[in-house]
Formats: sequence, C-alpha cells, structure tokens
Amino acid sequence: MIVDQLIWIPVLTGLLVLVLGEKRSNFAYALSLLISSGLFFLSIYMYFLFDNALSSYQFELKVPWIDRFNINYHLGIDGISLPLIMLTTFLSPIVIYTSKTSPKNKMHQYIASFLILEGMMIGVFSSLDAFLFYVFWEAMLIPMFLIIGIWGGKNRIYATVKFFLYTFLGSVFMLIAIIFLYLKTGSYLISDFYEVSLSLNQQILIFLAFLFAFAVKIPMWPVHTWLPDAHVEAPTGGSVILAAILLKMGGYGFLRFSLPITPEASLSMAPIMITLSLIAIIYIGLVALAQTDMKKLIAYSSISHMGFVTLGCFVFFVQSSSINLDTINLAINGAMIQMISHGLISAALFLSIGVMYDRLHSRNIEDYGGIVTKMPKFSVLMVFFALSNAALPGTSGFVGELTVILASFKVNIYIALLSALTLIIGAAYTLWMIKRVIFGAVTNEKINSQSDMNLIEAIPLGLIALLILLIGVWPKPLTDMMNSTILALSYLVSG
Amino acid sequence: MNIELSLIIPELIIASAICLLILVNSFLSSNKRFTGLVIGAITMAVCALISLLSLLDTTNLIIFKGHYKIDHLATGLKLVTYLSGFIVFTGTRTNKDNAKSELILLELFAILGVSILASSNNLLTLYLGLETLTLSMYGLVASKRSSELATESAMKFFVLGAIASAIFLYGVSFVYGLYGTLTFGGFNNPIINGSIEMQLALAFIICGIAFKFGAVPFHSWVPDSYQGASTSSALFISTIPKLGAFALIYRLLFQTFISNVEFWSLLILFIGLISLILGNIIAIAQDNLRRLLGYSAIGNIGFTLISFSIGTTDGITASLISLIIYILNTAVAFMIIEIISTENRSIVTLSDIKDLNSSRPWMSLLMLLSMFSMVGIPPLIGFYAKWIVLTELIKADMLIIGLIAVIMSVIAAFYYLRIVWYMYFEKNDLPMMQGTSNIFQKISVSIIGLMILIFGLYPSPIIDFCKSIIFPIFID
Repeated sequence: MIVDQLIWIPVLTGLLVLVLGEKRSNFAYALSLLISSGLFFLSIYMYFLFDNALSSYQFELKVPWIDRFNINYHLGIDGISLPLIMLTTFLSPIVIYTSKTSPKNKMHQYIASFLILEGMMIGVFSSLDAFLFYVFWEAMLIPMFLIIGIWGGKNRIYATVKFFLYTFLGSVFMLIAIIFLYLKTGSYLISDFYEVSLSLNQQILIFLAFLFAFAVKIPMWPVHTWLPDAHVEAPTGGSVILAAILLKMGGYGFLRFSLPITPEASLSMAPIMITLSLIAIIYIGLVALAQTDMKKLIAYSSISHMGFVTLGCFVFFVQSSSINLDTINLAINGAMIQMISHGLISAALFLSIGVMYDRLHSRNIEDYGGIVTKMPKFSVLMVFFALSNAALPGTSGFVGELTVILASFKVNIYIALLSALTLIIGAAYTLWMIKRVIFGAVTNEKINSQSDMNLIEAIPLGLIALLILLIGVWPKPLTDMMNSTILALSYLVSG
Repeated sequence: MNIELSLIIPELIIASAICLLILVNSFLSSNKRFTGLVIGAITMAVCALISLLSLLDTTNLIIFKGHYKIDHLATGLKLVTYLSGFIVFTGTRTNKDNAKSELILLELFAILGVSILASSNNLLTLYLGLETLTLSMYGLVASKRSSELATESAMKFFVLGAIASAIFLYGVSFVYGLYGTLTFGGFNNPIINGSIEMQLALAFIICGIAFKFGAVPFHSWVPDSYQGASTSSALFISTIPKLGAFALIYRLLFQTFISNVEFWSLLILFIGLISLILGNIIAIAQDNLRRLLGYSAIGNIGFTLISFSIGTTDGITASLISLIIYILNTAVAFMIIEIISTENRSIVTLSDIKDLNSSRPWMSLLMLLSMFSMVGIPPLIGFYAKWIVLTELIKADMLIIGLIAVIMSVIAAFYYLRIVWYMYFEKNDLPMMQGTSNIFQKISVSIIGLMILIFGLYPSPIIDFCKSIIFPIFID
C-alpha cells in the first residue's frame, strides 16, 4: 500500500495545486514542499520495512483493472526498483524547493507538473504489470513536455517537440512488443513474460522493439541527439529530473524487460550493445570536451556516463562459453550503482549551473572565470561535484565506474581498457570546464558584483554532496538492498 | 398500443420533437434562443433513457414486414447517438445564425436518419436513413448563410454526396438484380456471392460507405465542410454521422455480406490505410485549426476502418471502440473552439489560440487532454483505441499494418502537439477576448473533457459496452 501512496499522493497534490490557481502559489509551494518531503520520509520508512534477503517482490498490491484483457493494477518493489524510487523521492522535493529561487510565471502549473511527474516516475519503477508500466512510462511525457515547453529557454519548442517525438517513437515499438508477449502468454504480468518460450528470431525482434524504447531514453549513441537539446532548453528543475531519473528508466527497462525476457537475443546482440556503449563512453566523452555551453557539456557527460550502464548490462555476455554468475552479478551491480550515482551527480551539477545561471543569465563557459574569488563556498561544492563526475575515489562516481570496469576486466581486457579511458576523458572535460569557470582571472565584469550562494541554495547541494560521499565510502547499504534481486536476475539471464 | 410501434418509441419521439420545433419556431421571437436547444436536449435525454432501458432486455425482433430490425447493435448505437446528440446540444451556442433553431431541427433530422440506419434490415430502409442523414448534413454545412466559404463547401459537399449516393444506389441495384429482394438475410447464395457482378456491387457500395466516413478517396468534403460550417455544425458533423456510417458498414458488410469478407476486407483495408497515411500527413501542413481537425478526422477514420477490415467480431468491436473514443475526443475539441470563439471573432487558425493557457487555463487544460488523448498517450482514453486496435491487428497476423499504424500515430503526434504548443508555449501580445459562452456549455465540456481522463483510468465500461452490443448479434 505504501507504493500506492507514493504514486498517488503527489499526483493528487499536483491536481490540488492546479485547482488552487496562480494566486495561491505561495501556499501551493509550501504545501507541495511539505508533501514531497513527507514522501521522501515515507520511502525511507519503506526502506526499513524492506527485506534485503528476499529476491521476490515486496509491498505487492494487485487489483483487477481491465478484466477482459487480464490487466491488473499490480505494484511491487524489489531491489532494483527501491533505490531508484528513493532517488526519485529524494530529488523531487529538491526540485520543488529550488523552483522558488528563480522567478517564474505560472508557478502553480510548474509545481503541479513536477508533482504529477514524480507520481508517474514512481509508477514506472514499481509496476509489475507491463500494461501499467507502459501507462506510466508514456503518461510521464505530458508533464515533461510542458515543463520544457513552457519554462524552457529560447529554443524550447524545438527541443521539447524533439524530445516528445523521439521518446514517443521509441515507446510505440515497445507497445507492440508488449502486446505480442501478451498474446503469447495471455497475461500482462511482467514475470509471466520471463517464462514464455520464443524462437531466437522472435527474441531478437522483441529485443529490438524494447531496445528502441530504452535506447532513446538512456540515451545511447546514435539516438541521443534529443538529450543535449532538451537539457539545454529545459529549466533547471527539468534538467535535474531529466538527467537524474528519466534517463534511468532506460537502464531499468533493460534490467526489467530486455535481459530476463530475451536472454538469448541479448547474448547475440551483446557485441553490438557493447560497441554502442563504448562509442558512447569514448566518442561522446570527446564531444563533451568540445562544448562551450555548460549545460550541453553536462548533457554529453550524462550520455557518456550512461554508457557504463549499458556496458554493465551487456558486458558479461562476451564470455559466452562460461557465463560466470559472479561476473554477471558484478556487472549489473555496477550498472545499478552507476545509475544512482549519476542520478545524484548530474542533479547536483545541473543545480550548480542553475545557481550560476540565476546570477549571470548565461550558460556559456567563456562568460565565466574566477568565480572562486567571489563565491568561494559555492566553488568548493562545485569542484567537489566535478571531481565526483570525473570519478574521484571516495565519491559514488568512482564506485559505479570501477565496478563496471572490473567486470569488464574479467571478460575482456580490451573492453576494460577502452572503457577505462573515460577516467581520462571524463577528468579532462570536467576539470577543464572547472578551470575555465571557477578558477582563473575574472574576465566578466558582472562576476565582481555577485554574492556567494546563500543558505537556501546551499541546502540542496549540501544534501546531495553528503549522499555522494556516503555512497562513495560506504556503498554497502545500497548494494545490500539490491544484492538478492540482482542475484535472481543473474540466474534468469544465465538461463 | 401496437407492439411494433412501441419498439420504435425513440424514433417517434424525435419525429414529434421535430414537428413541435417547426411549430414553435413559427411563433417564437428570435430572442428566445434557447427553446430549440432545450427541446433538443430533452428529446435526446429521454430517447437515451428509453434506449438504455430497452438495451437491458433487448429481444431480437424484425418488424414492419422485415424492414426494420431491433437488436443489441441497433439499440446500442442509438444509445450512443442520443448521448452524443445530448452532448452536442449542450455544447451548442445559439447566435444570430441559428436563432430560429433551424440548426437543431436539421440535427434532429440527422439523428433520426442515424436511428433508421442503425435499425435497417432492408436496403431501401437503409437508403432512407442514409439520405435523411446526408440531406440534413448538407443543410447543416450551408446553415452559416452569411459565409461564402460555407456556401462553397456545402455546394461541393452536395455535388460529391449526390455522386456517392448514385454510385451506392447503383451497387444496390446490382444486388437487387442478382437476388430479386432487398431484405437482408436473403443474400447468401454462394454462387451469386462469388460472381463478378456481386463484387462490383460491393465495390460500389463501399464507395458510398467511404464517402459517408469521409475516407480517402472520397474525403475532400471533410476539411472543407469542417472549415466552412459554423462551429456548432462542425461539432455535429464531426461526430454523429460517423456513427451512422458505422451502422451502414456493419449492417451491409459484416452482417449481410460476411461471406464475401475476403473481398471487402481487402478494399476496406486499402481505403483505411490510405486514409490513415494521407490524413495524417496532410494534417501536418495545416495552419487552419478546423482543417487540421478535418484531416485528423480522416486519419482517425482510417484507423477505425483498418480495424474493421480484420473482419472478426473482435476486430469490429475494436473498430467501434476506436470510433466512439474518437467522437469523444473530437467533440471536446470542437466544443472548446465553440466556447472560446466570440460573436465577432471566430477561432480559425492556430494563432487564434495562442497563449490560451493565460486567459482560459481550464479550457486549455481540457483541450490539452483532448489532444494528448488523440495522440494516444495513456492514461487518456485515446490510448485504448490505439492499443485495442493494435492488439487485434497483431492477433490477426497483420503486424506490418500495425507498424504502419503506430508510425502514423507518431507522425500525427506532431500536429496535435502543435495545438498544445500554441496554447501553452507561444506568447501572445493581443489580449484574448472573453467568449460569451453560457454556463451549460462550460459544465458540459468539463464533464465530457474529464470523461477522457476518467474513462482513461477505467476504460472497462466502454470496452464492455461495445463488446456487448456487437457479440450477441453474431451469435444468432
């Protein structure tokens, strides 16, 4: 039942905020901040109720929905979905909290969109029925479309329509795959899909259909082009949610659908997937190096980092002769940690850019320089986030990337070496940006008149920094949560 | 009371309401604008109630010497028609163009035509219903007397419609020549049905059907009349006649000539496919909101026809579901256009709805729901149309058609999104004029608009309703 509340309380609050209207947006702001922080504590409460030892679904709720087609309103949580849900409930109040700092028109609609989005995202991560999953997956597009389109930058309409059409095109293929699986099994239950017997050709077609949806969401090279546009144009809150949570749905989809439903197809498609992941890691990393716009740079860095997620999901297939359970376990663990860690780091970086943007109204790197002289406290945090983005040991970024690279070493040294290049490239583009933005001489007159960040801005950044450190030095609570589920998944994948 | 007459009480009520309206009209001064609407709405409500009651214990009866059939489909379709009629009347605004209630009169005639179509059990009854419907539609399009555009589109519509009717009748005459009877149920001689004459007859009949649906290649009247007609008329002709067309295609093709299913399903599939593709692609280029909705209608009808072409009861149920859902969506869109337009400034192009979110947030939210529903985003009702048709297509091994359909739905998404972006993203310097809509319109559109969401969250009633009216007929 807790899951149910996590989904519908934010949605209902969002509708209430819409009804309250623009005049009461201050009250709406306070209310939604209260409710969404409450939801975070609710998810923590859920974490304590969660039994790490079980690999099955917990907190299950099953209500018949469309009887005629055997569709159920079926929710449940396992070790893969819990961390992602907690990430969502952690970042949503932060996004709502920061919505106050930059002046916006139609505040109530802005907050309502984020609240409804939060409910939909939690729904995606907790649906056990494929139909329900698809409903949440698509419904999410509506608030996101509006967030980028209404409150975005100059080119927002182009960016948001591109975002919408790309993801929509991807997901209609997934719809076909889901319907096909339903006709095979007579049920929309995802775990029933795991047991369906399919020929290799059917598996490959289904794999490709799911791949379309997930690859666009993650996004993988070469269907990534919507992301830089969407990120650059979206308001800060939109970028945060987009990078931190929406992208994770693709990775979650691979773990929930592609790997267990079509293991043989995954095996035969693995070389392609690994190549695409390596292209994302290396090539997109180099592209990030060339960016002059900070948001765009972080967007490309996101694609590059998400390459590790797809790499972790597929790298263990390379040694097909002796698929080793430990390797699978390690690789998927790495992919999951990388997702959570990237969620936190990218959110923090976008928030930091938001802090600077509110002062100078520019995202161009060359408009900055010498920030540290005027904003020392802010610079400390910003440098910390940049270092975690470059996978500094002791931060969560290091744990995720190292685990995936380790798993790659076990199967193939060349893949490992290529993926380890990110440690150099990632450090290069992040630190070079930091050098030009934070350090150096003050070139822009305006910077001299800026004040350091205030407490209101510091709180969310500080909270995220704490979590990044915590996962970096002590990832055990996170891995304990996921272990038994990932082990069960490894069995499914290895057949 | 005569048992046969008691079965057609709704039709009798509508006919009486028409007579009453004619009478009232000649005595009423033009400032009593609501009288016609009130009579129309009450008639529809009463008829819907009667149909609902008779749906609960429908006996399959053929009355009037085999001309008229009362069964689940007839009663069910009538129920939907009367409900849609009620929606249309509550969403119609009276202005100087229709102060004398001619509009309501014509619409009641058209609804009577749809009722007859739904119940017809004879080619002549069918044609009677068809022409009652079509002739009223000509009048409806032309009813905006002050507008050149309306007159022009009505003229085009009339000429095309006359040709289509002639072709249809020509096909009917073939059938009569082959069988010597016009009553359904007598057309099941396998030798005759396999003959080339019969196939010609079916092809002619399908031309007539395509015209009624507004499917390619008989589609050109749709955007013209949506654009030319007054919004109230457009609201009507975009919804209820489609139900009549469904009755036509069901009674003729599925119920009567089911033995030729292989032949007609191919034709219907072809018509549906090109309607889907052409309608959606041409709609992208439209800046005129009404023309855009016109082309979107063609695309949606294509979708419905593709589903019909599967030729199984499941496929036809899906087809009816998608049609009803389309009617719901489009009714909301036109009702909102009606509400936000003013006496001296009608909503014509996309730029007329710029920044609607600032001046009428509630109306633009409902429009947003309607548009995303047409795109097929869950949990809005339009998604289920897409999903159920896709399910039936894949079940029938028509995966390629399904792929084309979903890709078209992505293309269609673009122009529906354009409407949303004009309402929400564009800035407008001109102040939006406040419409003069009455409170009934607003309540009505709010209820229908929220139904898009509510049925989206719980679609079983619509699915079950459509199944229950299609299935029993097939059994006997």
